[in-house]
Amino acid sequence: MHVPFCAHHCGYCDFAVVAGRDELIDRYLDALEAELARLGEAASVETLFLGGGTPTHLAPEQLDRLLATLARWLPLHPQGEFTVEANPDTLSDDKVAVLARWGVNRVSLGAQSFASATLAVLERAHQPEAIAPAVQRVRRAGLMVSLDLIFGVPGQSLQDWRADLLQALSLQPDHLSTYGLTYEKGTPLWKQRRRGQLIPLSEADELTMYELAMDLLGERGFEHYEISNFAFSGRRSRHNQVYWANHAYHGFGLGAARYVHGVRSVNTRDLDGYLRKALAGESVTRASEQLAPEERARETLVVQLRRSDGIERAAFTEQTGFVLDELIGTRLTTLVEQGFLHDDGQHVCLTRRGKCVADAVIERLL
Amino acid sequence: MTDPQFIRNFSIIAHIDHGKSTLCDQLLLKTGAISERDFRNQVLDSMDLERERGITIRMHPVTVYHEYKGKTYELNLVDTPGHVDFGYEVSRSLAACEGAVLLVDATQGVQAQTVANAYLAIEHDLTIVPVLNKIDMAIARPEAVAEEMDSALGIKADEILHASGKTGQGVEEVLAAVIDRVPAPSGDVNAPLKALVYNSHFDSYKGVVVYVRVKEGTLRKGQRIKLMRGGNEYEVADIGQFRPAPTSCSQLVVGQVGYFMAQIKNIADVHIGDTVTDALNPTAEALPGYKEPKPMVFSGLYPTNNNDFETLREELAKLRLNDSSFVYQPEVSEGLGFGFRCGFLGMLHREIIQQRLERDCDLDLVQTAPNVTYEILTRRGETLLIDNPQKVPDAGQIEEFREPIVRINFLIPAENIGDLMTLCHERRAVYVRTEYLSQSRVILVFEMPLAEIIYDLYDKLKSVTHGYGTMDYEVIGFRPADLVRLDVLVHHKRVDALSTIVHRSNAERRGRILLKKLREEIDRHLFEVVLQAAIGSRIIARENIAAIKKNVTAKCYGGDITRKRKLWAKQAAGKKRMKMIGQVELPQEAFLAVLETDE
Repeated sequence: MHVPFCAHHCGYCDFAVVAGRDELIDRYLDALEAELARLGEAASVETLFLGGGTPTHLAPEQLDRLLATLARWLPLHPQGEFTVEANPDTLSDDKVAVLARWGVNRVSLGAQSFASATLAVLERAHQPEAIAPAVQRVRRAGLMVSLDLIFGVPGQSLQDWRADLLQALSLQPDHLSTYGLTYEKGTPLWKQRRRGQLIPLSEADELTMYELAMDLLGERGFEHYEISNFAFSGRRSRHNQVYWANHAYHGFGLGAARYVHGVRSVNTRDLDGYLRKALAGESVTRASEQLAPEERARETLVVQLRRSDGIERAAFTEQTGFVLDELIGTRLTTLVEQGFLHDDGQHVCLTRRGKCVADAVIERLL
Repeated sequence: MTDPQFIRNFSIIAHIDHGKSTLCDQLLLKTGAISERDFRNQVLDSMDLERERGITIRMHPVTVYHEYKGKTYELNLVDTPGHVDFGYEVSRSLAACEGAVLLVDATQGVQAQTVANAYLAIEHDLTIVPVLNKIDMAIARPEAVAEEMDSALGIKADEILHASGKTGQGVEEVLAAVIDRVPAPSGDVNAPLKALVYNSHFDSYKGVVVYVRVKEGTLRKGQRIKLMRGGNEYEVADIGQFRPAPTSCSQLVVGQVGYFMAQIKNIADVHIGDTVTDALNPTAEALPGYKEPKPMVFSGLYPTNNNDFETLREELAKLRLNDSSFVYQPEVSEGLGFGFRCGFLGMLHREIIQQRLERDCDLDLVQTAPNVTYEILTRRGETLLIDNPQKVPDAGQIEEFREPIVRINFLIPAENIGDLMTLCHERRAVYVRTEYLSQSRVILVFEMPLAEIIYDLYDKLKSVTHGYGTMDYEVIGFRPADLVRLDVLVHHKRVDALSTIVHRSNAERRGRILLKKLREEIDRHLFEVVLQAAIGSRIIARENIAAIKKNVTAKCYGGDITRKRKLWAKQAAGKKRMKMIGQVELPQEAFLAVLETDE
């Protein structure tokens, strides 16, 4: 479920977001309800993920209304997982209370960094001091906490990154996501890099930072279960694992993506268009595609490879109808010999070296 | 029957862009061969490629009729190509003529090729009708150019006509001069048939169309003829002239130019320069003919997709039908698989053939760097002709390594003499002489290895002379030189298609440049790729391509999957078009890195 509203558009973000259009929030909630109503009847779900944007940018009453709508159309399974994304500076006690009341059991907090300089390059609005109190508020309410961190930010040193990781660990999160900074096309950061106004870190430095995260978090007992995600045992994001298994999921709201009955589709990213169409009871889908079985199998192959569990041969064949080894042939052997893949006969997964160059490995498997 | 005294056969020789085709069109218009309505630029250049490049490659003879002083004359215009690669075609045309219009651009003056072609015409005993073209242009400088023609060719100002292909000015005078000055063809009409084959082309419906100039006797429809070189006999099925559309007639007599068809299925049976005679009443002696051009530039052509090999073979065979100067034979490269070694007259010829294959036949090709033909005298006393660096024997077996040498004429502004001297010195040229055409324009003559010309000498000449320099060359023979085969190893594996033959003194420099270029063209891999240049077992240069250190998509959630999949698939598709050398992917551009001569 996507909520596009933000107080401010951060320099690296290319999601479907809007800043400074808070007057549209109520209409947006109407529109979301209208989009959900097209389901016809309530659909029970095992995991819910409320992301954005900044869902917690909504006022407590608006948040309450949104969660009530969700509960009506997408009732959560009793053992279900319900995650909400939040920024440290938006997470007041009363909002946490609203989340807890509607059964939210995880908060994914966009900390990004504990260094003011790094936050400034990223054009984040919050201050480092806001992070710890936000974590404590969530923890007091009994919810699990995940922290997002970004590395490879211009100006960031290896020491800065180590400090970020250590500070994050000191807050004892259940889950950590560490993202290498991506210069998404069209974002302010991308434009600055193109104009030479900022100097990206070298590939070697990015690699060292990534390896530091793997080392440090591994020492502290975190499982590196996906390229950019670490969790204590049993605290992985169930919701996100659906994506990496290439299983089906719904999606609602501005720019939302879904994968239902083998069809991938995305909603429009134009807020006015979304509001108009959804409120008129029309489809808000912008584009959809249905892959041929072999393409779908290859897609499954590459997304599953992002997991530390990798690809399990039998499950892969059951899911896709294709035999893994027939699909990739001798290239697998080469990549195993080169030390980028590990193959125990049942599973194929990326080695530590392989994780660092996963895209290059994937290109050789497609 | 047309009386030979009312026939004139002539060519127009000119440098590229001096307006030959435009003037030809004016001649057709003035003589009524085409109507004002059909008048469009360059009727005679039938191939798109020719029109695009503004050059004529294949000759089209055309017959027009012109009233002059109360008589009707048959004028046969044999067009000539205007590029140095096709110099031999000029000789073919000239052998069919008694005269040549020498066309010189009044704004640009005499060019190297003007001189070369004019001398060729003089050697053939042709009467030259000098014409200054583009006389209507404000920047025309007829007096200065006339002086150059005097210095370079001994042509006097009062012989020179002034014309404009664009406005038609002076065209009547050109026609009059052709009739007045060019001698009528001679030859005995009652003698047995003797006709010169000066060109041919293959028509998929009619078979081989043979272009002839009748030197003696008469060629008739239905006649039993013999091609003297092979001795094959045929019956003439059709006879005609290009007016400019092919127009049948019953016979061609002494002095006439035209074509015939005789159910000849294989173009290889028709030799350019051969003599056609009457099978029942043959002539005693064949015409001297002229030697066929030998391809001097070779390169490998490989289909990117190995499945296209047969298609490529078929297309090459089709091209060969109309271009006997182009040769090919199958070869196998370890790196590139099955392909063909092709021989061309020069770099333009090569480029044209490649474009035809890629454009008209929709084939993706990898082309190896071009090389010239070398001669090797082995210790055992054999002489080997080497058209492929892969065939160079071990150094121990070589007694003498010889390369083709050309005599090259540059016509350049006098102020660029120093720069050109430097350029030629770098290319191992031997200075021969200097001739001043005027105070500001000069001809420099050198002898230099053909190998030093084929890559980029023309571009360099244009660059040092700011576009004003021109060149022309002819192969004069083979000379011994200290040559070596420079090999390239990609990740310790020798890539045969990247081997080149270079002068020992240049080997190290060329090796370094080549590796640098390769490093730019080859993507980084998952491992460090080592590039080496070697002579025999001695490594003379080395470059490394660092391994990819980090390349991983940070975020791949529900909304990212489609976009990422497309991106990865696109990258993977790009890799499929590359050639695998061991574990290393080489893009097509890498095979042309050998052409790079600059630091």
